[in-house]
Amino acid sequence: MKEANLLLSCLALAFVGLVVMQSFKNRDINVTKDHLQPSALEASIQRGSVIYEGFCARCHMPSGEGVKSAFPPLAQSDYLLEKREESIRAVKYGQRGEIVVNGVTYNSIMSPMGLTNEEVADVMNYILNSWGNKSDAMVTVEEVAKVKKQTE
Amino acid sequence: MTEPKPFVPGWGPVKVIFMACLLGTPMFWACAQQKGVKENTPEIVTPGKQTYTTETVVPGLDIPWGMAFLPGGSMLISEKSGTLIHFKDGKKTNVKDVPEVYFRGQGGLMDLELHPRYAENGWIYLSYSSQEGTGKGGNTAILRAKLEDDRLVDQQLLYKGVPNTTRGPHFGSRLEFGDDGMLYFSIGDRYNRDENPQDVTRDGGKIYRVRDDGTVPDDNPFVNQADAKKAIFSYGHRNPQGMAKHPDTGEIWVHEHGPRGGDEINIVAKGKNYGWPKITYGINYSGTKITDDTALPGMEQPFYYWVPSIAPSGMAFVTSDLYPEWKGNLLVGSLIFQYLERCVIENDKIAYREKLVPDIGRVRNVRQGPDGYIYVAVEGKGIIKIIPN
Repeated sequence: MKEANLLLSCLALAFVGLVVMQSFKNRDINVTKDHLQPSALEASIQRGSVIYEGFCARCHMPSGEGVKSAFPPLAQSDYLLEKREESIRAVKYGQRGEIVVNGVTYNSIMSPMGLTNEEVADVMNYILNSWGNKSDAMVTVEEVAKVKKQTE
Repeated sequence: MTEPKPFVPGWGPVKVIFMACLLGTPMFWACAQQKGVKENTPEIVTPGKQTYTTETVVPGLDIPWGMAFLPGGSMLISEKSGTLIHFKDGKKTNVKDVPEVYFRGQGGLMDLELHPRYAENGWIYLSYSSQEGTGKGGNTAILRAKLEDDRLVDQQLLYKGVPNTTRGPHFGSRLEFGDDGMLYFSIGDRYNRDENPQDVTRDGGKIYRVRDDGTVPDDNPFVNQADAKKAIFSYGHRNPQGMAKHPDTGEIWVHEHGPRGGDEINIVAKGKNYGWPKITYGINYSGTKITDDTALPGMEQPFYYWVPSIAPSGMAFVTSDLYPEWKGNLLVGSLIFQYLERCVIENDKIAYREKLVPDIGRVRNVRQGPDGYIYVAVEGKGIIKIIPN
């Protein structure tokens, strides 16, 4: 009887450990892994992380914190999380003129990066689901294709 | 301001672990920075009293990269987006038949340089990212052409880095003629530091030296080495975006972007290895180490390095009499801190650093015009002239 209790306790502990490990594993991308194959969103985020490193991290920094008074943060950025279409447009066509992010006004120029619509979608999914950001609605290639350059 | 709360004994283990994680992250970063690496010295000075004013001479530019002053007072300006502007009598005209640029990441239409005997032969040199050749993506190209009725004519492609790659960063681009009449130019490592900079059989991470027509001079350092790229003059560079000929010695000075920290000034010499990525004073963007070494035998030490990075772009020596206090000084633009750095050189060292035009915007280029004035290309603004009081 005692041995059975011990076994049960061990199993319970192992289960808790597994759950904890799993949640740690996913903490960077905030995606719940409910099956073995990566979801379309997870795959897009993964591709997006490579794009981010090569095209964005120099100014927005590896953890999305940006650079004070020069480049707005992406981590916990109200602009990114609330202005989805404007954010896609900025990644696709570049950004110029004043924008307000988390109450701070920025006025730098981000040149267009020459990314394909798929790359824009991937990097958007990465930045929308990193560093504490979370967005369940996946950015798709079709959504990016519909975003047109702003005519001033 | 509230006083920080003192550490209270009796905190639960969760809080202790939480605190340890909080403290651990910056400590880990600090450890990854190499030992003995100095913060930028001497400390940069912002003078209380400004001895100059500024005037925007060409407004309304996005990312002005190259500037070339034509005889007669007009000016060519390249925009990264691919537009070549002829600015004459206060009016911008877009030059036609500009080569098609590979529009990706840090690439675009980049530097401009006139032939030292431009008045006789009319050659204008351009660098740009190009898809020329085989393979997906692009690499840096050097071309010369002449300006005729605001068109680029007689175009000759002088050099094209290979292979093409879709990677966005590190095209290099700067052009400068030496006293030897040779054209020096930079191609960055194309974000392939493991393969390109240390291998002279590959393009990227190099300073090149060619004749004005693009042919390779017989006295280049690797002309006799099988498989080497014969145009290479020096190697082990990362992404040089500043190049200027020293007015007295004629040496070619470059500066290059480091990774996180470790921007460098190098005086390039024939066949020398400047070490990237085997030695560097910088670390990865993520905070992890690139190498333990800041010095190794057979590799050159930088003339100066910046930790933290200023993201240098554009480089010029002041030779004009209009700025007697600045004569002989080195000017370097800072993209990240948005000023122009004035460096006073004494005894082969930077003895004094000063911030000019603080907070002006991302400084992409600086040149001294034939009229003796200093012109600064600022992103989102235009070309700014510095006028001494």
